[in-house]
Amino acid sequence: MKHALYYKSKKFAINTLIHIFLISVSVTCLYPLLWMIASSLKTQDMIFKDISLIPHQFRLENYVLAWQEGGFGRNFFNSIIYTVAVVFGIVIISSMAAYAFSRLKFVGSKFLFIMFMAAMMIPIPGSFVALYVLLNKLHLRNTPIGYILCMINVGLSTSIFLLKTFFDKMPKELEDAARIDGCSKIGIWWHVALPLAKPVLAVVIVFNALAVWNEYILALIIFDNRQFMPLQVALQTFQGEFVTNYPLLMAGLTITALPIIIVYLLMQKYIVKGVTQGAIVG
Amino acid sequence: MWRRGIGIFLFLIFAISGCSSGKVDSKPTISVWHWMTDRDAAFQELARKYEALAGVKVNFELYAPSDAYSQKIRAAAQGINLPDVFGILGEKRDFASFIKAGHILDITPYMEADNGNWKNKFFIKALAVNEFTSGNSYGIKAGFYGVPIDIMTIQMVYNKKLFSRLGLNPNWPPKTFQEFLDIGVKIKAAGMQGLVSGWGEVWMIDCLANNYAFNIMGKDKVLATIRGDIPYTDPDWIRVLSIFKQMQDSGVLAQGLVTMINKSAEQLFANEKAVFAFNGSWCVNVYKGMNPNLEYGAMLPPEASNQYPIAIWGGAGSSFMVNVRSKNKEDAVKFLIWLTDQDQQVYLAQATNNLPANKNSLTKIPEILAQFARGMDYATHPNVWGVSEFSLVIEAFDRGIQSIIIGEKSPEQVASDVQKIKEREMAKKRAR
Repeated sequence: MKHALYYKSKKFAINTLIHIFLISVSVTCLYPLLWMIASSLKTQDMIFKDISLIPHQFRLENYVLAWQEGGFGRNFFNSIIYTVAVVFGIVIISSMAAYAFSRLKFVGSKFLFIMFMAAMMIPIPGSFVALYVLLNKLHLRNTPIGYILCMINVGLSTSIFLLKTFFDKMPKELEDAARIDGCSKIGIWWHVALPLAKPVLAVVIVFNALAVWNEYILALIIFDNRQFMPLQVALQTFQGEFVTNYPLLMAGLTITALPIIIVYLLMQKYIVKGVTQGAIVG
Repeated sequence: MWRRGIGIFLFLIFAISGCSSGKVDSKPTISVWHWMTDRDAAFQELARKYEALAGVKVNFELYAPSDAYSQKIRAAAQGINLPDVFGILGEKRDFASFIKAGHILDITPYMEADNGNWKNKFFIKALAVNEFTSGNSYGIKAGFYGVPIDIMTIQMVYNKKLFSRLGLNPNWPPKTFQEFLDIGVKIKAAGMQGLVSGWGEVWMIDCLANNYAFNIMGKDKVLATIRGDIPYTDPDWIRVLSIFKQMQDSGVLAQGLVTMINKSAEQLFANEKAVFAFNGSWCVNVYKGMNPNLEYGAMLPPEASNQYPIAIWGGAGSSFMVNVRSKNKEDAVKFLIWLTDQDQQVYLAQATNNLPANKNSLTKIPEILAQFARGMDYATHPNVWGVSEFSLVIEAFDRGIQSIIIGEKSPEQVASDVQKIKEREMAKKRAR
C-alpha cells in the first residue's frame, strides 16, 4: 500500500513539474502576443503608464487608424498575391525538382543537388546587391514579377531538400503500379507522389508562407513604388528612428498576424506529421 | 487538374506584371528617397506646397527602417538608379565613397552664390558634417556635398514640477557643477531619483565625459591625449573621472543608472520619476508621445570649470544630397534651397519636433526646441575632430566610469587602466 502511494506521489510530483514547466513555456510564448493585443487598444502614453494586460479604455479606432495611415489596403492585397504566387511557385517547382532528384538518373544530378543545398548556406542579405543588379539588367527591378521570382528562388533549396528526403523513402512499388496503369512520369508525380507528400507539402507551404508574409527588406530594396510594397513595409511607417507609434504599430502587427495564424491553424494537423515525416509512407 | 493549377499560377504572374506598367507624366518630377518615418507626413505636405508654388512635383519616397534604407541606397548606387535627391546614413568615409564613385553633386557653387546667401542661413556646425575641407584625408575636392535639413544636440533636461517640489526656481537650472551637486543633496533627502540617461549604452557616458573634458582642459589638450601626447593619468583627466564620483556621492545620479537603456531613462523622465535626464534633442518628440503634459526645460551640463567653455555633442541631424547624374539636378537644388528656407524649416520643426538647420528659424519654434538649438553654439562631435581614439580605449574609459559610479574603482585606478590600454594600442599601431 505504502509502495503504491510512493509511486502515485512520485508520478504526481513529476506531472506537476512537467505541467509547471509547460505552463511557463506557454506563458512565455503567449505573453508577447497578449501584450501586443493589449497595447493595440491603448493610447501612446497609457502604454508607458499602465502595464496591465487589460486596458482601462478600449481604443478600437487604433485598428482603423493603422489601416488608413499605414495604407494597409493595397499592401495587404499585395502581400496576399505575393504569398500565394510564391508559395504556389515553390510547391510546383520544388516538388518537380525533388522528384527528379530522387527518381530520375541524369548526368550531374548529384552536383546540381549539392549546388541547391549550398544555396541554403548563403545568408539572404548577402545576396541583395547581386539580386538588385541582376534584376536591373533583366529590367525586372521595381516589378512584382521580379520580386516573386527572387522569393521563389529564396525558398527553393529548403523545400527541395525536405521533399527529396520524403520521395527517397517512398516505396517504388507504388510507382510501378501506377506505371502498369499507364501513368507517365509527370502523371506519377501528380497522381502518386504529390498526394502522398501532403504532410511535407503542408510544412513547405507554412514555412514559405511565413517567410514571404514577413519579408520586407528585399521588397524595400527592389521596389521604388509604394504601390508594390508588401504589408510588412507598411508596418515600418509607425516605427521611427527615435519615436515609435506603439498603439498603431501593435494594431498593425495584430492585423498582419491574423492571416498567418489562420493558415497555421488550417494546416496544423499536417505540420507535426510533416516535420517528423519519413517513417510511414503510402 | 495540375494543368489548371499551373494556369492559375501563370495568370497570377501575368496579372501582377500587368500592374507594373508605368504612367507617363509630362510634369518635371523630383524624386527624393528618405528613411525619416516621423517626418514623412510633413515632407508630403511641403511637397504639395512646392508643387503649387513652383509647378514642380516632388515625390518623397519613404524607405524604413534606416538599415534597410542604407542597403537600398548602396544597391541603387551599384545599379546607377539613385533618385534625384537622397540621404546617406553612416560615417563620413561612407559619404566620401559615394562622392568618389561620382554619385553626389558638389553644391559649393550654389552655397556660395550671392555672397554665400544660402550657406549663411545654416548653423555653421550643421554644415561641417557635409563639408570636406582642403587636404582632407579622403582625397575629396574641398566643398559642400550635402544640405542639412535639421540638427541635433545632446544636453540635459530638468523637470520643472519636481524642481518646484524641491524648493528650487523652475526657471533657474543649475549653471555650475557645485549648484548641480547641491541639488543632488536635496534630491537624496527628498527620496527622489536624480539624473537618468542611457548609460547602459556606454556612448552616452562617453558623450558627457567628453563634455567635461573640453570644459576642464580645453579642446587642444583632449585632442593631444587622443594623439597620445598626454596620458590619461594627467590630473585633468582624473578630474574628469572624479566628476562622476562626485555626482554619485551627492545623490544626483538615479539608482541603476549604469545599466539603464535610454528608452527606460526616457520613460522615467517622461513619467516625472526623475529630476534630470541627459538626452538628445530627439527626446522632445519622445516625451511628447509619452507624456504630453510634461513641463521641462533644456540646459547645458553645468560647468565644472570656468577656464574653458563646456562643449556638447551636436551637428547636422539629417542631410540630403543631390544625384550628380540626375537630369533634374538644377530643380533638385532649387527645391532644397526652398526646403531649408525659414518658413519651411519652421513648419518642419513645429510638425516634427526636430531642430531646424536654418538658424533664422529659432524665434518661431517652440521654446524647448529653441533651447536645444541654441546649444549649437557649444556643439562639437568626434566626427569633426580629425583624430579618433582607439575603440578599446573608449570602451575601457566608459566601462571605467561605470565602475567608478558603482564604487568598484577609484578615478586614479581607472585612469591608470585606460592609459595601459592606450599604450598597448599605440605600440600595436607602431608595430604595424
